[in-house]
Amino acid sequence: MEGVSYQRFPRIKIREVKEDFMKFELRDTDASIANALRRIMIAEVPTIAIDLVEIEVNSTVLNDEFISHRLGLVPLTSERAMSMRFSRDCDACDGDGQCEYCSVEFYLRVKCLTDQTLDVTSKDLLSSDHTVVPVDYSDVSSGFDSNSTNKGIIIVKLRRGQELRLRAIARKGIGKDHAKWSPAATVTFMYEPEIYINEDMMETLSLQEKTELVDSSPTKVFGIDPESKQVIVVEPEAYTYDDEVLKKAEAMGKPGLVEIHAKEDSFIFTVETTGAVKASQLVLNAIEVLKQKLDAVRLSDDTVEADDQFGELGAHMRGG
Amino acid sequence: MNAPDRYERFVVPEGVKKVSYERDTKIMNAATFTVEREDHTIGNIVRMQLHRDENVLFAGYKLPHPLQYKILFRIQTTSQSSPMQAYNQAINDLDKELDHLKNQFETELAKHTRDY
Repeated sequence: MEGVSYQRFPRIKIREVKEDFMKFELRDTDASIANALRRIMIAEVPTIAIDLVEIEVNSTVLNDEFISHRLGLVPLTSERAMSMRFSRDCDACDGDGQCEYCSVEFYLRVKCLTDQTLDVTSKDLLSSDHTVVPVDYSDVSSGFDSNSTNKGIIIVKLRRGQELRLRAIARKGIGKDHAKWSPAATVTFMYEPEIYINEDMMETLSLQEKTELVDSSPTKVFGIDPESKQVIVVEPEAYTYDDEVLKKAEAMGKPGLVEIHAKEDSFIFTVETTGAVKASQLVLNAIEVLKQKLDAVRLSDDTVEADDQFGELGAHMRGG
Repeated sequence: MNAPDRYERFVVPEGVKKVSYERDTKIMNAATFTVEREDHTIGNIVRMQLHRDENVLFAGYKLPHPLQYKILFRIQTTSQSSPMQAYNQAINDLDKELDHLKNQFETELAKHTRDY
């Protein structure tokens, strides 16, 4: 049964890590792996989000379903999500999804008693589990502006006499089900470009032509060395595969002046999260989820047995 | 309304097999694998991994319809191998690749958090 292995050994180089952002290089693999990771980070890494809301009192300007929808979209810290159960396969609570293994309870009770408009924010949501709380964007390490007075995510505004009282159940879910469960704000990858400048041909250009060529790129990929007056590659990754410089070179009657190739086994990833999980954790969770998915698509033993029998039968039928 | 439930996309219904296998009746060493509740994420990586196997003569996958939540793999191999062997091999190799990737990522991350 054991055949030759066609396994690859991809390399990773991390360029930047922040709480909710990271950038890394992935090499020695192909686009299918890169894209699978991207797709999983967006749609299949589980998080926790509010899924059920029971409204007791709502005298605000927004109707019940509008508020419920807004609550669902509030990102909750979801480090626990990977080890939590989906409420649909939780046997501790006969599928009503209200036990500690598969849900977290929240309460919100706010009433405005002054003439000042009162903001109801994610900070007013009281959690039954201190590990699952609305994401706090006032963390210093996150990219958000911490100078602005941090009041959380506004859910609704109240005037004097208005009140909002509710109970909410948060559950584990994935982005494929509803986007509120997606931990990713953006996940992108690009092929690493390889840029060759034909120096001999470049020598035949006047400084003005060189400047024109450099300026033909909509993004700042090329530049002119202030001393040698040579065209140099300033930032290869700024290249958006727009072909503008190549068209320019062609128009100048110098095809092949610049050559750009996408390295097919080298990717640059940017990952940005909603704050539900750390960016680095999101990547690790994505790898874990992909492993679980692969494990699930393995052939079951009874399928293999059935085929073995069929194989003998088939051999008989073929006259073997 | 008649829209299917959202969970239909990823929950395998009771009594349905996740992976089923059907041998081709006319071509030797060819078979179709039907994988329930999977999409391009699995389809494409398995297909590309199968292409790396030199005993695989043909490997392709399709998502027959966006509302039929399954994918089909079609694999033909040389007589040195079999579709089932190639399929298992591809999944094992991918699994090992992801193990390696995870280790790489963790060591890189440890380096970075120390520098911080």
